[in-house]
Amino acid sequence: MSLKLKDTENIWVLGLFLGLCGAAAALVLAYFDDLTRAPISKMKMLEVDNALREVLPAFDNSPGINVCRKDGVTFYGAQRNGKLIAVAASGDSMKGYSGRIAAMVGLNLDGKVRTIAIVDGKKLAAVLITEQNETPGLGTVVCERKRQKTIFSIFKKPGKAAALPPPNPILDQFAGRSAGATPWRVIKDGGKCDYLTGATISSRAVTGVVYRIAHAFAAHRQEIIARLSQPQPQN
Amino acid sequence: MSLIKDFTNGIWKENPVLVMLLGMCPTLAVTSNAENGLSMGIATTCVLVGCNIVISLIRNIVPKKIRIPVYIVVIAAFVTVVKLLMDAYAPPAINRSLGIFIPLIVVNCIVLGRAEAFASKNGPLRSALDGIGMGLGFALALTALGGTREFLASGSLFQVKIITAWKDDFMLWTSAPGAFIILGCFLAGMNWLNMRRAVKRGELYVPPQGMDCRHCRLCDLGRRDEE
Repeated sequence: MSLKLKDTENIWVLGLFLGLCGAAAALVLAYFDDLTRAPISKMKMLEVDNALREVLPAFDNSPGINVCRKDGVTFYGAQRNGKLIAVAASGDSMKGYSGRIAAMVGLNLDGKVRTIAIVDGKKLAAVLITEQNETPGLGTVVCERKRQKTIFSIFKKPGKAAALPPPNPILDQFAGRSAGATPWRVIKDGGKCDYLTGATISSRAVTGVVYRIAHAFAAHRQEIIARLSQPQPQN
Repeated sequence: MSLIKDFTNGIWKENPVLVMLLGMCPTLAVTSNAENGLSMGIATTCVLVGCNIVISLIRNIVPKKIRIPVYIVVIAAFVTVVKLLMDAYAPPAINRSLGIFIPLIVVNCIVLGRAEAFASKNGPLRSALDGIGMGLGFALALTALGGTREFLASGSLFQVKIITAWKDDFMLWTSAPGAFIILGCFLAGMNWLNMRRAVKRGELYVPPQGMDCRHCRLCDLGRRDEE
């Protein structure tokens, strides 16, 4: 029987066999899709959560659950003891050197970009680029806050400095700014924002996306604060 | 004895990357650092072992005429499962940097090549061992390539800085030209090692076809060989 099946040239048998194989594969895939659906969404939540933890002050609610969308920007509210203390917002821009750049920005309730800390007299802005495909070594310099592990630091306990995201001069310049009616521009375009020579397009895109987020908050401030101030279960 | 040989075959003698020159697309594209190379190697190993076992189990009932489509269905199913598992459990940073290259394991010639050349002719145990060996060979080659490129570019290994004074990255090695240069050096090194071992045994070493100067007429060496 098996030999006959192996050498068969009957088109119906062949078709049926291939169909059965496809059906078996589909069953296996359906099972695994079902199995991994919950962990995958949990993983995505975790990624957002980690970004939120970087740009927001300590909070005791779950900002990832109650969100508010305005002008294509997603807002997350951080509450402590049932009171809204700061807002984080994520938005994106398609104007990066190779497409999408997405950012997570922490904002004070007055609309200014939050300052996480002051390190060596320099403000550390709550701006984090969460997605980018920029040119390695040029565009990535504008976007990245990369924690550098060294052979010495992996054996040491992480100190207080390690808890803060590393500085990035382009991203840090937005600390304490609030969005007015005129969009922020890089110096090359007649604006005030610094940019990196050789990565003007990336710098422009980063400036654009941070302005877009800050502007969306400024434009709908009352509404967003009202929405995110709603009581949430503490954890 | 032959079982051990099945296993070790893929690691050195028939290393899929450095000897058979298969699967060059992921090899060149994802080995910008050691971590990516290792993760890609592990993902491919899982697919290889699973496909080899399933294909050797069904090898006696698959009609010859449609064996390739059937193999592709099996491989695609395994790759999708691996992709789903990686989405669910792998660190997001690795998952993002491997991106499209995980689904592309489907068209990796190593997987289909081993299915057709080995699993369709041998039993499940030998096929599994072959899959593990080939996968390990692939993973080792990718990790070595990635590690070399990462170290030359930024003085770090597995994202850990070894030379702490190294500030600015040397981008050549993490970009595409660097991949070709390092791969070329690896192939030359592999040939040199094999040649030395053959000479020690007193044999004449013949490099694999297309990997020495015979096929290339760019410089004097190729022509001299022919005379």
